[in-house]
Amino acid sequence: MGRNTREAFRSLSAAEFFYRNREIAGFSNPSRALYQTVRELVENALDACDSHEILPSLYIGIKLVDPIKSFYKVTVSDNGIGVPPYYVPYAFGQVLFGSKYKLRQTRGMFGLGAKMAILYGQLTTGKPVEVETTPLGSRYKYYFKIMVDIKRNEPIIIEQRVRKLKKKTHGTTVSVTIEGDWSRAKNKVYEYIKRTAIATPYANITFVPPDNSEVIVYKRVIDKIPPPPKEVKPHPHGVDIEMLKMLISSSEASTLKEFLAESFQSIGLITAERFLRDIGFDPNMSPEKLTTEGIKALVSGLKEYKDFKPPRTDALSPLGEELIVAGLRSVLEPEFVAATTRRPSAYSGHPFIIEVGIAYGGKIPSKDEPQLYRFANKIPLLYDEKADVSWKIVSNVIDWKAYGVEFPAPLVVLAHICSTKVPYKGVGKESIAEVPEIEKEIKNAIREVARKLRTYILKKRREEELRKKAITYIKYIPEIASSLAALSRPPTAEINGGGLTAKEIEIMLLHLVKHKLEKIGIILDIETLKGKVKTR
Amino acid sequence: MSMLPYDIDYKQRLEAAKILHEAFIKLVEQIKKKENPTLVFPKRTLSNTIYDEERKLLLLGRETQKRRFLDVNEARKFMQTLLMAKIIYDSLISNEYPTIRDLYYRGKHSIIYYDHKGRRREENTWDEQKESDAIIRDIEVITGLLREDMLILSKEKGKLVGKIKLKSGGDIIDASKMGHGAYALEPTPDLIEIIDVDADFVLVVEKDAVFQQLHRYRFWEKHKALLITSAGQPDRATRRFVKRLNEECGLPVYILTDADPYGWYIYSVFKIGSITLSYESEKLATPKARFLGVSMTDIFGERDKKGKLIKQPYLSSKERKNFIIKATPRDIKRAKELLNYKWFRTKQWKKEILTFINKKVKLEIEALASKSTKFLADEYIPEKIENGWID
Repeated sequence: MGRNTREAFRSLSAAEFFYRNREIAGFSNPSRALYQTVRELVENALDACDSHEILPSLYIGIKLVDPIKSFYKVTVSDNGIGVPPYYVPYAFGQVLFGSKYKLRQTRGMFGLGAKMAILYGQLTTGKPVEVETTPLGSRYKYYFKIMVDIKRNEPIIIEQRVRKLKKKTHGTTVSVTIEGDWSRAKNKVYEYIKRTAIATPYANITFVPPDNSEVIVYKRVIDKIPPPPKEVKPHPHGVDIEMLKMLISSSEASTLKEFLAESFQSIGLITAERFLRDIGFDPNMSPEKLTTEGIKALVSGLKEYKDFKPPRTDALSPLGEELIVAGLRSVLEPEFVAATTRRPSAYSGHPFIIEVGIAYGGKIPSKDEPQLYRFANKIPLLYDEKADVSWKIVSNVIDWKAYGVEFPAPLVVLAHICSTKVPYKGVGKESIAEVPEIEKEIKNAIREVARKLRTYILKKRREEELRKKAITYIKYIPEIASSLAALSRPPTAEINGGGLTAKEIEIMLLHLVKHKLEKIGIILDIETLKGKVKTR
Repeated sequence: MSMLPYDIDYKQRLEAAKILHEAFIKLVEQIKKKENPTLVFPKRTLSNTIYDEERKLLLLGRETQKRRFLDVNEARKFMQTLLMAKIIYDSLISNEYPTIRDLYYRGKHSIIYYDHKGRRREENTWDEQKESDAIIRDIEVITGLLREDMLILSKEKGKLVGKIKLKSGGDIIDASKMGHGAYALEPTPDLIEIIDVDADFVLVVEKDAVFQQLHRYRFWEKHKALLITSAGQPDRATRRFVKRLNEECGLPVYILTDADPYGWYIYSVFKIGSITLSYESEKLATPKARFLGVSMTDIFGERDKKGKLIKQPYLSSKERKNFIIKATPRDIKRAKELLNYKWFRTKQWKKEILTFINKKVKLEIEALASKSTKFLADEYIPEKIENGWID
């Protein structure tokens, strides 16, 4: 986080900020707040590891600390880079709003969400946030209890300790005490952790729930971390008036063309000059001299100009097919799984990548509809599913029958959008809007993976047919064997010729069936075959 | 198998059991050689039913069918065939006389198995008797043994009176001393020993009622006949016994049925065999049997090309009006089918059938009897035997 450029932040009364944003930020009631707190802390923890390519090990604990008042202590530990001790009070005890307009795909809202959780905790329980951190390379563990001075928006350090460590380590533990409602939040919390585990199969996640329920452990199944996204400057097509104003105020450029070349991707000095002349601006004017009208004209020019190169995609960090497959496989234990990462695309100047995974069968329960797991920038989206563009595609657009899926079916579809700007529908940030470019990509991605599913299902169906065929023979073996045994005994003692026992004939017939099936490619275990049939 | 009640039974049992044993032991040999166990036998289908014009018999053709164990469509029938063979084999050895219904019940049980998804399933070896009956017919074809040869009983309805002495089940039977009753033909006619016959011909009457009238009239005594009724469609035992009388005793056989396509078909079953059981024809059909009546010319007389009556009808026009029944569309359809059968394509039969199709009327034998039994017994039948039967 920007410790050097204080001017990039704008302070605001913390309480004012919180009340203004509590609904949007997801703290509308104790149940939602508990879920949201877990989510914010987990996402911060994962970011602390991912961004430095550390394989995450997370501990999530929820403890009921006051059953009467329904206070819960939510603790999340990570093995990330830690927080420098001098920065801890500001990182956890002061609400900062905004940041530089550098864009990159991260999970949380620049740590703002976690602060909402801290504030919510303080306002509902009066308890401070507890932070324990060891920065990368340090041999000390720093312990803080911090509260927010709500009026002045300043951290109050309640307690502070340092301990020297024997072994080198790193990471942060944050505990927030809040008023919550576990019984109502429970399903969402479990689901959130499960889906997080799917998207981060390279993490160890341990969850200790408050009731006496079982501890949930998701073990790391792969040692590969997706490459961290690079910070990139905004693309001119994605600009808006507020953003442009911010950029101008934080820029030290003396001419408009320098400002553009410095603040945007896909614009060099030459492009800037040509563009500015084309839309009738003086390339050498000072950006500070722009009028409101001028800013408006510049924004629409930037948005509509056709000759900028398309947005760069290295700001995006997709999970990749390998991780999606590993995550779906280890968490859901399906019989089939496949995934695709589409090539980058863009909408209104914002690059995005769509990824889709499909898991089918195995331990996935059969449902009347596809089970959709949505992710945006690696974050699971749990609410407002039916409003999401992927739901529309999965439930209405894709003809699953054509892919061999007949509902009820054990079908999970994972849809992940990574973008520097995820086009959320409404303020809840829980569902993706129907942007045509995105819709098309999701559709194609699902179709691409569904084709693999179809191949699998058809093959499986064929094998099932063959197994069925095997049963049609096998089920009659005892009857045939005992009949043949009787018929093979000569009618009188005078006639020679040995009879065979039913068991002997049964074994011979089973071998016959086995051979026949091997010819068409099914290998059957005779012992299990025998188990399939009961002799009367 | 210690003492058996009757020698003739014992021999038959042993013979049938041996044939069954040999037919099915082949499968064990195939299995030992790791071959797909296969039964090969003549196809029992209409397309494989052939009319042998020389021998005047309906026979099974040369087409064969294979019943294999490792064939999805045949596996169940393969199992049923073996199951049925085993039951028949067992009852031969243990001295039993099962009926086809007994065989059905003895073999009917459920097979319990687990399907490809591991679900427990049940399947009956067979559901209806129709299924097990078809398998019995297959075994007859496979072994060349008729069910009678395998001592399987069926309900028989054929009856006999006349001067004939038989030995059955160790008893001597005199069919001329049956009072108003008659000797009921047994389901295993080959086990009947014909001891003595004093008759000139055999008269088979389709209708039991007419048989009884003729019996009470002592037709058989007066005309030196053996009187038999099939009581409708003839069963196997009646057909077999009629054949034996014709071929072993050299007695001509005359068949008296209603004048309609069904009557004609009864005659044809006696004579050349039935389409569904064509494999039995050689043992059951009597190719020399003759159709005595009632013919269309008996009703309407016969005219030459100029329309001159050359043969008088047995019925006056008034009687005709009273006795004849209007043919139904089904009767007409059946008559047209008969025209397609080769053995009905003789000049005389074509005339019979075409007259029927033209006039659209039929007549029951009872009509002639109602004229008077005396007329039927002393006039109609002797005259027709003399001159007037159709081959």
